[in-house]
Amino acid sequence: MSVPEARVWPVEGETRVPYWIYSDPAIYAREIERIFEGPTWSYLALDCELPTQGSFKRSMIGERSVLLVRGADGGVRGFLNQCAHRGVELCQARSGAAAELICPYHQWTYALDGRLIGVPFRRGIKGQGGMPADFLLDAHGLTPVRLAQRGGAIFGTLHDDTPDLAAYLGPAMLPLYDRVFDGRALRLLGHSRQRLEANWKLMLENIKDTCHASLLHVFFVTFGLFRADNPSKLRMDSTGLHTGLISQRGRQELTDGTRDIRSFKPDLTLQDARILDTVREFPGDATVIMHTIWPNLILQQQSNTLATRQIVPRGPGAFELHWTFFGYADDSPEMTERRLRQANLMGPGGLVSMDDGEIVERCQAGMATDRGRAGVVEMGGAGVEDTDHMVTEAALRAFFRGYRKVMGL
Amino acid sequence: MTGPAVDQLALRLEIEDLYADYAEIVDGGLLERWAALFTDPCLYRIVSKENFDQDLPLSLMRCESRGMLEDRAFASAELNVYAPRTWRHLIGHVRAAPDGAEIAARASFAVLETASDGSTHLLCAGAYRDRLARIDGTLRFRERLCIYDTALIPGSIVFPL
Repeated sequence: MSVPEARVWPVEGETRVPYWIYSDPAIYAREIERIFEGPTWSYLALDCELPTQGSFKRSMIGERSVLLVRGADGGVRGFLNQCAHRGVELCQARSGAAAELICPYHQWTYALDGRLIGVPFRRGIKGQGGMPADFLLDAHGLTPVRLAQRGGAIFGTLHDDTPDLAAYLGPAMLPLYDRVFDGRALRLLGHSRQRLEANWKLMLENIKDTCHASLLHVFFVTFGLFRADNPSKLRMDSTGLHTGLISQRGRQELTDGTRDIRSFKPDLTLQDARILDTVREFPGDATVIMHTIWPNLILQQQSNTLATRQIVPRGPGAFELHWTFFGYADDSPEMTERRLRQANLMGPGGLVSMDDGEIVERCQAGMATDRGRAGVVEMGGAGVEDTDHMVTEAALRAFFRGYRKVMGL
Repeated sequence: MTGPAVDQLALRLEIEDLYADYAEIVDGGLLERWAALFTDPCLYRIVSKENFDQDLPLSLMRCESRGMLEDRAFASAELNVYAPRTWRHLIGHVRAAPDGAEIAARASFAVLETASDGSTHLLCAGAYRDRLARIDGTLRFRERLCIYDTALIPGSIVFPL
């Protein structure tokens, strides 16, 4: 499907974002081809989700189902989740453990390393039928997917030219990533999954939109967990596609920053404040780092709640958001309780995240039928540079610049 | 029917009334009355069947006291931003048995969600596992565990299940 010629980005550049990028099926098809199946690393899983030999987990690179399997040698391998015979979806369970992988249709059987090791009726029955004499099992294994691992997270790519993961993240993003994935063994706390009726980019943009958190999220604003007047930094990589939002918890007080915020409630108190019983656990002053890693990952460190949010595109008007909450294997029981309590802020019923899920659907509802106009992205001017404050849409502009380049728009 | 059977039937009717009250409060926008259905402390959790089956401790909502329930109810009613909607709980297959000083009860639920355009869809289906205590003659939730089957939630969960 070719992109119609009328699809020309507004002359103002990245201070305008045309609504057709969120609904045009031809744009979406190009995104799948150039982004998700292009030279990018898609987040797939945490290593701790595959605890033993034979552990498997299904994940997604864009719209493609990918199977991760821990082999007899302890290594994790990735494969397209597809039998080499007739393309049947090989594994339907979301996760589990198996000694070998067997397609239910004709029982082609694969070892944990993806080798085809059995084809029923290969030699025929009573001299009749069977596979040709020159049929080689070795030539019909599962299709491997290249993986990269760093600090307990697993990424995959469908493209041969994807640079190694450290180069892909770049020097500006690596320290933010390594801060959470610091090499300690992780402990899986659980999953949440939701389907939102909105374009997948809106989820990344929501995290790069530093202003909204101070206005939309009463919970954040009032209790100072993330607010425009808190000491904050915005860091981007050279492509503009990855972003780190770095911030520090403030107090519940009326300041220049909160006077403009209608949602700020100076008198609001919690009946049971244990949900805000946060402790500093990482070096430095930052208490929040929201890290978007192109194209499908939001790495969340808000106080003591840690999670990956994996974006799965489902057509131009929908995506799935898969949340994986985790801690560290050496967490005390008190720290685990704290993380589980603070998880109330996040996820499909999160005191904060609920607002985001709703607002991206509302964005889509407003934009999807209007392919002629464009949004205004001028907070903080027209620049795309790093800033030491949050009162800017620079990360969105940097994102659109990188997106246009990848998409040829 | 003999004595024990009548007692058991009476208990189940009483629990069905409690569940009906619960549904009316949540579906009727009366969340300020929600916390009073629980003991203090208490444990209210929404957990996916996916997490529950794997012994993973994450909750979608988790309240450990009436105070936390009140905070959640207030946030849901006053602080969170979401499109207007109506919920309808359908609760059935109620089972209950005394367990020590408390009562262990189970039921199935489905929640129908009606959007502002008037269309209705199934939000989620699941099961309750409750521990009930009799406080001053009235049954209260000591613990309510909502295990939802719908691993992929359509949209968001803006009220308690």
